[in-house]
Amino acid sequence: MSATRAPEIVTDGFPRRRSRWIEIVTGADHKNIGLVLIGAALGFLFVALVELLLMRLQLAIPENTFLSPVTFNRMLSLYGATGIFLFALPLALGLFYYLVPLQIGARGSALPRVGQLGLWLYLAGATVLYAGLLFTPSEAGVNPLAPLSELAFLPNNGVDAWAAAIGLVTLGFTLLAIDLIATLRNMRAPGMAWRRLPVFSWAGAICSWLLLVIGPVMLAAVTMLLIDRNFDGTFFAGDAGGAPLLWQHLSWIFFTGAYMLVLVAALAAIAEIVPALAGVPLANRNATIASLAAIAVIGTLAWMQNMLTAPIGLGWMYFAMVMALALIVPFGLVAFNLIATLARGGARMRSPLLFAIGSLSAISLGLAAEIQQSMVAAAWQLKNTTDATAATHFALVGGAVFGGFAALHWWFPKMTGRTMGETLARFSFWTMALGALLAFVPLFFAGAENGQVVDAYKFFDGTGVNADNLIASIGAFVLAIGILLTIANAILSRTAGAPAGHDPWHGESLEWFALSPPDPHNFDVLPDVRSARPMHDIREAIAHRTERPAPQPRESQPVA
Amino acid sequence: MAPHSPGTDQIDTLLWIGFFAAAIVVVAVNGGLLFALRRRRSDQSPEPASRGRRTQFRVGAVLAAFATAILVLSVIYTDRAREARATGAAGLKSSSSGPLRITATGQQWLWRYSYPNEAFSYYTLVVPVDTDVVLDLVSTDVIHTWSVPNLAEKRDAVPGKVNEVAFRAEDEGTYFGQAATLSGQGYATMRTEVDVVSPDEYEAFVKQRKSEIQAAQDRVTELIESGDVP
Repeated sequence: MSATRAPEIVTDGFPRRRSRWIEIVTGADHKNIGLVLIGAALGFLFVALVELLLMRLQLAIPENTFLSPVTFNRMLSLYGATGIFLFALPLALGLFYYLVPLQIGARGSALPRVGQLGLWLYLAGATVLYAGLLFTPSEAGVNPLAPLSELAFLPNNGVDAWAAAIGLVTLGFTLLAIDLIATLRNMRAPGMAWRRLPVFSWAGAICSWLLLVIGPVMLAAVTMLLIDRNFDGTFFAGDAGGAPLLWQHLSWIFFTGAYMLVLVAALAAIAEIVPALAGVPLANRNATIASLAAIAVIGTLAWMQNMLTAPIGLGWMYFAMVMALALIVPFGLVAFNLIATLARGGARMRSPLLFAIGSLSAISLGLAAEIQQSMVAAAWQLKNTTDATAATHFALVGGAVFGGFAALHWWFPKMTGRTMGETLARFSFWTMALGALLAFVPLFFAGAENGQVVDAYKFFDGTGVNADNLIASIGAFVLAIGILLTIANAILSRTAGAPAGHDPWHGESLEWFALSPPDPHNFDVLPDVRSARPMHDIREAIAHRTERPAPQPRESQPVA
Repeated sequence: MAPHSPGTDQIDTLLWIGFFAAAIVVVAVNGGLLFALRRRRSDQSPEPASRGRRTQFRVGAVLAAFATAILVLSVIYTDRAREARATGAAGLKSSSSGPLRITATGQQWLWRYSYPNEAFSYYTLVVPVDTDVVLDLVSTDVIHTWSVPNLAEKRDAVPGKVNEVAFRAEDEGTYFGQAATLSGQGYATMRTEVDVVSPDEYEAFVKQRKSEIQAAQDRVTELIESGDVP
């Protein structure tokens, strides 16, 4: 882009102002779309919690009859689809979609209507999934393994609703990813070279490319499943020449990729928060970004880690193990650099940093357990026990809930112009941390020591897991209370929070140059970007011009 | 887990190795976080950028060494687990060559075991002690996972495929297991039991089952031929 181009024409005359909610719901502005995605994701987090708590109530005591087996399986299926497709992924994508154009100094996204279609497909998918409640939701579990998900075994339309919903949602995510890639490719501000891109925007690029790879795989899988169920197909039918393992390969490629996407997004958000609140630049920025990219690639290649008990060759099992263990290097480097940044600076322990540290800690617990899960012979014992449940939940709750809440607290002032209440945030964090430990650590023991299996609607007395499950159920309620406190905090702070200026945290990237909340066109003027820390440069330049020392980060609550 | 077969013995060792590897990771990350937070502001010493790259390679090398160590140990113990179950004296007179092959059929929501002499049993699998046993896992409907943790590794029974699980029980006794892949409404109740008995008892059991099944079939044939079907 040349520096001498004509000023952009932002508006032509004065458009008629519609009421704010119509603007948000119907506008193609990336900020409105991002807000709807984030809001819907938090709403579905609440729904997923309700489903989790119902299941944990059923599993609080042995041989409970609170939920019938069918109801339990329906809750399980809804919980999995809601947690992954309606909460974790749209939360990450919503944050990317809101922030990437701001961070790269763009006045909007490149293909706004494509992004808007993505949002609507997501909302349509969510509606289809929950419309299943009107008749019969899927009973086939979190990942509806064929042939259980075939018509012969689940003849009601629940699985069809699931497959259609997942297809719509995945297509929507893919469109959002296309828009993000086009935006990142074409809309960067003058001087915003790729090497100067903020880590979170880099993660946006990585995750979008990842979605372009794994999204179509899932679309193919659900299309084949729908053909099997409705048009006499035999793709996955075991008794008619089909290959049940084909479904596992296709779906696990997506689920493993989605798992990595959530972790990359969370780690990138943490990598924005930690340097700013520690007051030093991120240690080894380039290595950190390269590690995030490596996680996306290598992690997705480890999809057969989920199939170590299936009839596949030992060589493939070793391939999955090599890929899973290779992840230790990039994850370790990211963690090392984040910790090194924290150690070098002086941490201003504000709520986003608290959640960020909690997120890193929870992810480390989950991934450490995944190491054990990926060692071939060990996996022959541990697969499909609650040990796997606990590992996945630590990594994904750590990434999507703790990491998502860190991002929420961090960017809430930008999105609403107000800061989230600090006291409530701290209270919520410690409740959540306690709840997560209580809810998931006992499952490690129940699974690894006593072999309690996943997804079962009851467990039997005398199998040595009574106490573990009771504690886990109590923990789930504590965790839910903590999560609800943050959701309440967000709702209350929207109107009652302390007003925040455009740059409450002393951030380093360009979103803090825009107003809070940003104008529809994001920026009145675009600065020339000359380093990876444009806001730092701007502060220096202002200080130079006014011959006053650059303002230092404040300890107190920022007030505009 | 309390291993009662050479294979699960090896797996148990590997599980402990994995546990310590996981513990190292958890301690390293969380210890690092605590250390970073406890460090006072006055200690801060901005690291020159040139040293950063070298540190990065060093940390990467340590991590790669850690990962390689886990990989090598996993391969060794996976190999041992596979070897352990395939060696040793076969205790059975009748099948002196090769292991005892039993077909385990998963069906919603019960396991059916077919023995070499065409006898079969449901729910309970009877095997002789100190004998190599190979279960051919098949399924007639959906995917089921056969799992008896103290005796053998878990494996999936996939329709249209034959999966194998091999073990050699070292101690007589009864071992419980539970199917480990969601297979529909009755999934949680799909359990199984392995009775490990002496070779003589095993021979007697399959012979008795065989004659009982034969007697029942004869009775049915008799009833049909006499036209006395109820």
